[in-house]
Amino acid sequence: MTDPRPRVQGTPPEVVGVACTACHHPMPTPRPACAACGGPVAEARFGPAGVIWSSTVVRIPVGDRQPPYALAYVDLEDGPRVLAHVAGAVEAPAVGSAVELVAPVDGDVTVEVIA
Amino acid sequence: MSTWISGVGTSNFGKQPDLSPAELAWQAIGEALSDAELASGARPGIDAVYVGSVFGEPGVAVRVLQGHAITGVPVITVENACASGTSALHEAAVALTSGRYEQVLVLGVEQMTPLFNGPIIPQQSDTEGRTGLAMPSMYAMEASRWLYEGRTTLEQLAAVSVKNHRHAMHNDRAQYRGEYTIEEVLASPMISDPITLLQCSPISDGAAAVVMSRNRVSTTDVELVASAQRSGGPWDHRSDDVWGYRLIHDTAQDVFEAAGLGPDAVDLAEVHDAFTIGELTTTEALGLAPAGEAGARAASGATALGGALPINPSGGLLSRGHPLGATGVAQVAEVVWQLRGVAGGRQVDGARVGLVETMGGGVSGVDGNACVVALLRGQHGERN
Repeated sequence: MTDPRPRVQGTPPEVVGVACTACHHPMPTPRPACAACGGPVAEARFGPAGVIWSSTVVRIPVGDRQPPYALAYVDLEDGPRVLAHVAGAVEAPAVGSAVELVAPVDGDVTVEVIA
Repeated sequence: MSTWISGVGTSNFGKQPDLSPAELAWQAIGEALSDAELASGARPGIDAVYVGSVFGEPGVAVRVLQGHAITGVPVITVENACASGTSALHEAAVALTSGRYEQVLVLGVEQMTPLFNGPIIPQQSDTEGRTGLAMPSMYAMEASRWLYEGRTTLEQLAAVSVKNHRHAMHNDRAQYRGEYTIEEVLASPMISDPITLLQCSPISDGAAAVVMSRNRVSTTDVELVASAQRSGGPWDHRSDDVWGYRLIHDTAQDVFEAAGLGPDAVDLAEVHDAFTIGELTTTEALGLAPAGEAGARAASGATALGGALPINPSGGLLSRGHPLGATGVAQVAEVVWQLRGVAGGRQVDGARVGLVETMGGGVSGVDGNACVVALLRGQHGERN
């Protein structure tokens, strides 16, 4: 099965998603049509800068994942909102923090807090 | 156009791994059929069955129904995550109002304890699920945002748990009940910051059933004034609201418009408190409290039994339990008991209009798999 997580590639790391060629709506993962208007989409790159919209630390095992791990919704600059792991965070990082994409860890979109 | 709820029933709720899904459902169906028969004097004729189940094994509905000799009729099973039971109810109502059937059975059934040791394992085909976002964390993200915006406090979140566990003291079918303090709720083990264990609904086994009629058949029938169901729109970087808020708001607007009633008419509500923050966001999205006020109302007792607008008098998902497919139908059963005035120690005095809301998630990228809102009206008693 195709990995459903957003693909992160390059230096600096960027999310390789899609954007609508009609309304320019950015989306983090490939799909046949724009989520906003149904128009055609083409590959587009987003990041590495972003801002945390919300965050948490998971304190229980989830499937094969061992706790604790920090997660955040990150609004990428001029890009989509993505769910990311937060590298090195032991507490939930503050909402509004500036972050940058780093290389994915075991396929997970990963960010680190820069301010 | 109204339909009528003529009989309701539920199983007990809790960890019941020694029972089969059929045994759970038989309790609920048996009670609903007896309830309808007692009121109308005749065993209800069941023209079709609408079933809500999420993890139900293939064939669960038919395996269940033959035990009550309900065979040879159309059976439709719906999966809409936590809103499966009320999605089945909504479809049943549409079928009745369109004249397709005279009387139908709605069943919600779920046996979860054999499937999960910890939380529900999210779908690995989903972006969020594969990234490790379990259900408690989805709601923790809402709480994170509302705390940042100053729209609620940790103590107000905990107050929802205190209230709903206290409500369940009067519900002998509930999975959990108890008198807790806000400090105890906040000191219980952290699950996903800031949501602690006592702020999470449990893994549950249970079933609930409703007999619905196109025309009123007895004096104890409760009117289903209107119901609505939607899937969520996109939830993305353009969304200023937390996940699910817009979907609940829009579904509620559909129902209030169809019913010709507003939030002011509601005397009690059973809403989707899968996690404490869910009750607060839902209360505001439904228009049952102004923006920024739901937490304060939970803390002040305004949404407790005896308050201005009791929310989750049954104990809610937090305390009654949350067998996914059964939950919505169990909410409806509670509101029917309330509107008949037979809810015992948890009775909302003078209740005349009740609201049910169920929210199912959480597919990545959308504001919810499904939300159902329903308005019910009792035919007895006077307003306070």
